[in-house]
Amino acid sequence: MFVRMTALLLFAGLSVAQGVRNPHTSAADVAAGAKTFHSHCSPCHGYAGEGGRGPNLAAGRFYHGSSDADLLKNISEGIPGTEMPGLFYNADRVWQLVAFIRSLSANAIKPTGDADAGAGLFRSQSCVGCHRVRGEGGSLGPDLSGIGAARSVDNLKQSILDPSAEVQPLYWTVKFEDASGRVVQGFLLNEDTYTVQLIDRSAALHSYEKAAVKNYTIDKHSAMPSYRDKMSSQQLDDLIAFLWLQRPQ
Amino acid sequence: MKHAIRFGLTVCCVVASLSAQVTYEKLLDASSGSSDWLTYSGNYRGWRYSSLDRINRQNASKLTLEWVYQMPTTLMVETTPLVINGVMYVSEPPSNVVALDAKTGRQYWRYRRQLPDRINVCCGQVNRGVAALGDRVFVGTADAHLVSLDARTGAVLWDIQVADHANGYAITGAPLIVKDMVICGISGGEYGIRGFLDAYDAATGKRRWRFWTIPENSWAGNSWKTGGGPTWLTGSFDAQQNLLIWGTGNPSPDWNGDSRPGDNLYTDSAIALDVDTGQLKWYFQFVPHDVHDWDAVQVPVLVDAEWKGQPRKLIYWAHRGGFFYVLDRETGKFLFGTPFAKQTWAKGLDDSGHPIVLPNTEPSAQGTYIWPGVQGATNWYSPSYSPLTKLFYLSYWENRSVYRKGEQEYSPGNRYIGSVPLIDLPGDLGHGGVRALNPQTGERIWEYKLETKPWAGVLSTAGQLVFGGSDEGYFFALDAETGKELWRQNLGGIIRANPITYLADGKQLVSIAAGNGIFTFAVQR
Repeated sequence: MFVRMTALLLFAGLSVAQGVRNPHTSAADVAAGAKTFHSHCSPCHGYAGEGGRGPNLAAGRFYHGSSDADLLKNISEGIPGTEMPGLFYNADRVWQLVAFIRSLSANAIKPTGDADAGAGLFRSQSCVGCHRVRGEGGSLGPDLSGIGAARSVDNLKQSILDPSAEVQPLYWTVKFEDASGRVVQGFLLNEDTYTVQLIDRSAALHSYEKAAVKNYTIDKHSAMPSYRDKMSSQQLDDLIAFLWLQRPQ
Repeated sequence: MKHAIRFGLTVCCVVASLSAQVTYEKLLDASSGSSDWLTYSGNYRGWRYSSLDRINRQNASKLTLEWVYQMPTTLMVETTPLVINGVMYVSEPPSNVVALDAKTGRQYWRYRRQLPDRINVCCGQVNRGVAALGDRVFVGTADAHLVSLDARTGAVLWDIQVADHANGYAITGAPLIVKDMVICGISGGEYGIRGFLDAYDAATGKRRWRFWTIPENSWAGNSWKTGGGPTWLTGSFDAQQNLLIWGTGNPSPDWNGDSRPGDNLYTDSAIALDVDTGQLKWYFQFVPHDVHDWDAVQVPVLVDAEWKGQPRKLIYWAHRGGFFYVLDRETGKFLFGTPFAKQTWAKGLDDSGHPIVLPNTEPSAQGTYIWPGVQGATNWYSPSYSPLTKLFYLSYWENRSVYRKGEQEYSPGNRYIGSVPLIDLPGDLGHGGVRALNPQTGERIWEYKLETKPWAGVLSTAGQLVFGGSDEGYFFALDAETGKELWRQNLGGIIRANPITYLADGKQLVSIAAGNGIFTFAVQR
């Protein structure tokens, strides 16, 4: 019992001491950390740390502290009030995980475009009609106020050129025809066995009993058009630079 | 004076109605027409069936809310209430117990347990119910204690430590009363415990016996000491043979079997124990060397029926891995098995009931897609058997997961699992519902399909009804013969519990936990 308590105290001391630097940063440590990341962390944070149910870890910015000591503590003990559980491995192994997570942002591609020009394109290309940034813009598409922390450069590029490659269910397009022949089209907000709720393109809310619906289809493609042939590569880089700067305040 | 008379009457009334008076004889007779709900599954045979028929196919559409009881908790509620002599005994998460007037839902008393700061329960600090004997109520706790309470007041009569919670042990299941004993299982399959099933003297709390689900030194190296095999769900009792029939859980670590070569007995098994001694009479292992976390933690359904023209003592068992089994209850011999949901891990079952495992179905570094998913094709929520229709009812899931394999080291009281699978695939969440099976053939008689995967058990009644619930919050009644929906009500919260039914003042009521409440319905006269 004594030995175990000593070990715990030692570990707790390591986990809270600010200024502690990761002692395990070799290539072998990064590789070992990658293995643990893929088996334990990737279901929520994505195989390449790109985010999913949990935040993107490849952007180099962390919501609950960015120091080595913060990362060690958060991985070891979990983050109260979130879905992040503690990993409860020995400190050496968690340090290897920290090394791998650091490597993700060290290798991350940074945007090369002009963010100011991108801000102009965001308006002139009508992005602002559907997407909101810091309270300004439309509401049909996702709010992009924190998109730079959630998505990599490559991921942003894919979303602009091939919007249907990855579409959240909230942005699937649903189409209803009721018994009278009235058609309503919008985004799926919720669905259960008997009812369905949606928001139409004028932002009106609808709720239907499925039994009263004549036809009901769900289109999992994005309603956003591709900008593949609508912008030069420089404009694309500029827009990505603007989006990449959008971080939670 | 007026007040004194009223107070005196009230005291008389309370004393009369708060006397539990459950006897072993009543528990033995629970199958043959009890108007109460005396034990977790309604009877010893695991049927979750009631002979009450005042709510039936003709009037089920007129069910209306009788009362609601809201629990002061934000934790998940998975409890099955007991109802005894007009009092409902409900366990509240994490480890509290409340006694309610079964007619109105008004509270008599509450037992509130103080828990240590750190509790090791893998999947929520839940509690699935209490047991009762005489004037006592028994509850297992999240810090792995077993507590005896006075049914009249909630006062603690004894409180014993079953295991050390700091090492990952917890109790989430309802105890089972047999004779003068409290049978108590244990949780902790995600923490590298060594599983067991215990029997305690109901009067004193003294342990009568312990059956270790992993025999000493029976696995490679020291892996038997941390091999899991929990017993976290209430089993059944065969009174004729004096046998407890109980399911055991997954081996640890869950998704990496490298440290525990071999079959890993008696994990993922049905075990039959002499209830007086705890001695093993037979076992049947559903999944040798499980690496998918497919516990055999389901309620065993014990039925005496003809099998190939001969009367036989049978067990019906829908296992988490996706197969429905029929076993001989006297020997544990495999008689029959067939899938009841999509599965992609086994070619089938051989003559002894062992799965013929397909290649490349183990967890892998890059991830292996397998049906069923981690939560199985069914799970702990109760099935039901109706002696009227002779059908086996269950809530099922059709879904898959991505199983990944990682390295694992044991550290006491911490998770010992091997990886974290991707349980719900984005855009491919699967679905579920309720199915009725002919248990003699495995044939699907009917299906009630839901958009989502239900965590609610099913109840069948002599009113030819099957009650069930959904994650969407719907509580519903189906025709037991056809599966046709006769009634449904949205309760506004996820249903992760089993329904019960009982009589109060001659009126039949049906109850289920949803969200953080107990909802009780009746047909108004």
